[in-house]
Amino acid sequence: MDRRQLLAAMAATAGSSAGPVFAQPRGEQLLVVMWGAQWIEVCRPIGEEWMRATGDRIQWELHAGGAMAVVGRLRPLWPRIQQNLIAAWDPVFDAMMEAGWMEPVDPAEMPALREIPDIFFKKNAQGQRMTVPLSTAGAFWGYRTDLVSGTPIESIEQLLEPRFRGKLCVPVPVNLSGLLMVSLAIQRGGNERNIEPGWQFLTELARRGNIGRVVANNSEMISAMSAGDLSVAFWNTGGWQAVRNRFPCRLLTRLTDNKGFLFNEGFAVMRGDNPARIAAAKRFANHFATAPINTRYNMPLGSGPTNVNSQAAESIRDIFYTPEELPRFAYIPDYSFMASQVDAWTRRWEQEITPLIRRA
Amino acid sequence: MRRLPFAAWLLLPGGLALLLLMGGPVAVLLAESLRPFVPGSMRPGEGLTLQNYRDLLAPAYLFYAWETFRIGLIVSALSVLGAAPLAFAAVRSPRPAVRKGLLALLVGLLVMSLIARLYAIEMAWGSLGPLAPIGALTGIAPRSPRYAEVQVAIGLLHFTLPVVALMLVGAFRALSPRLEEAAASLGATRADAVLSVVLPLAAPAMVSGFLVALAMCISNFIAPLLLGRGVVVFTTSLMYTRFADIGNYPSGAAIGISMLLLSFAVVYGLAALARRALR
Repeated sequence: MDRRQLLAAMAATAGSSAGPVFAQPRGEQLLVVMWGAQWIEVCRPIGEEWMRATGDRIQWELHAGGAMAVVGRLRPLWPRIQQNLIAAWDPVFDAMMEAGWMEPVDPAEMPALREIPDIFFKKNAQGQRMTVPLSTAGAFWGYRTDLVSGTPIESIEQLLEPRFRGKLCVPVPVNLSGLLMVSLAIQRGGNERNIEPGWQFLTELARRGNIGRVVANNSEMISAMSAGDLSVAFWNTGGWQAVRNRFPCRLLTRLTDNKGFLFNEGFAVMRGDNPARIAAAKRFANHFATAPINTRYNMPLGSGPTNVNSQAAESIRDIFYTPEELPRFAYIPDYSFMASQVDAWTRRWEQEITPLIRRA
Repeated sequence: MRRLPFAAWLLLPGGLALLLLMGGPVAVLLAESLRPFVPGSMRPGEGLTLQNYRDLLAPAYLFYAWETFRIGLIVSALSVLGAAPLAFAAVRSPRPAVRKGLLALLVGLLVMSLIARLYAIEMAWGSLGPLAPIGALTGIAPRSPRYAEVQVAIGLLHFTLPVVALMLVGAFRALSPRLEEAAASLGATRADAVLSVVLPLAAPAMVSGFLVALAMCISNFIAPLLLGRGVVVFTTSLMYTRFADIGNYPSGAAIGISMLLLSFAVVYGLAALARRALR
């Protein structure tokens, strides 16, 4: 036996005896970005079942603040990012698509996408599907009926009344990409491209001392509206669902002089240099898009499932609109345009609104 | 060729570490602060600009900087006022149980979870909390948004008080008790001895404690974030919004560099004033 044969034999022996010890666990390691609060609560058990079934290893990372924050955080790291799937919504998808970070998705490799209506997908310039839509969610004004006495709120003009002094909980412009501003603008005849009437309304609210708290994420909104000193808020369906589970609330989804906002949430599959990992990320996203998991994911979130074979929760029937109601009560703004305005809106908020809230 | 003295060789590793850990990131921050921002795009702009600094001259941003320092100065002063008696008792109390108990309390405050402390403050001192009436003694109604300032100050005090107190424990320990005994033998009461002998001798340590507390306050991020109700905005919060929420790195970097310079100026200015006063 020569030296090479001896080494080969030793390597083979070591390999066979140490095999089970050094063997890589089967499956891929995935890093998935998800929102906190009830989002992660519903996702963790789904992820654990998936790990047991496939051997993939799912590591969750939580959004810090709004989902747009992840874009700012990843920008200096790109393309050396670890994240494989990012849960986000329309404006964030637009920003990530513009940066060229997302992997196209195709029903050939993700069969559950065939059960999702085409209108829900974000597409690139080549017409490729770029997102995995999981939920139809919304942002609405609403209030805790146990804390608002007197005339029920039928118009957000009523929020200027003295009884709402310090009672309003609103998001910073960067949250929900400035839908608060758009809602206030619509109230005074404007929209996302004619936002000035919204600033005037907001200035009135701040000057009268009616804005009691400014929140930056779901957890803050849920905690603020649960504490008992705030009674009215503008927030997304997920946050409202958590508050509605504990306190009697009325969501103002059918205002005659304003609109509710609809948007899609879901997964973006991130580009990367490991095809096996991208394939695993697509399989996991596809799992979330299947009817049973899509139903299970959306039920506690109070959002509408996107898979046509999924079931919507009974409790959200008042939130979502029939096709006839859509043009009357709902509004889908130009989220790409709003994403380009968030920096300017945030600066204006810092310069004009925060000082007013403090002085009131 | 001259050889480097031995002391210089000893300083070299630390100096290099400082350069890499502090100098490097600050240089990168400075370069980023001069880049233009393209709204709505993830791609950085081209060329160099001072616009990010000019934006900070708006009255609102000067107000936020002033607010950061104002609240920091108040909390730092309260920290020294609160910490000095605690530290003195922890060193000079005739009862060992009091000395040990106070030291354990101060160290315990330091190691207690930050988030738990801040949420406890929110529950206790919040507008519906049981301690809100005490907070209202500041003249700010607990239900007004401005009351968040009181909560932020209490939150910051939780950070600074134990640190300043432990700094002063060292200072008081270094002072010989014989000095107080000598003052007493000359007819001074215990209060006189403390006020006229101990405190002047501990003054440099108190100034150091004040400056450390100020540095901790103006760089704090979590207390204004969790307790500020979105209306008490520190410059750290502005930086976070720029970096994390909007992805406007150049503006965030400009705020960072400006605050770094401002903080150096204030801390060294105050230190120089204190040195002159103590001379």
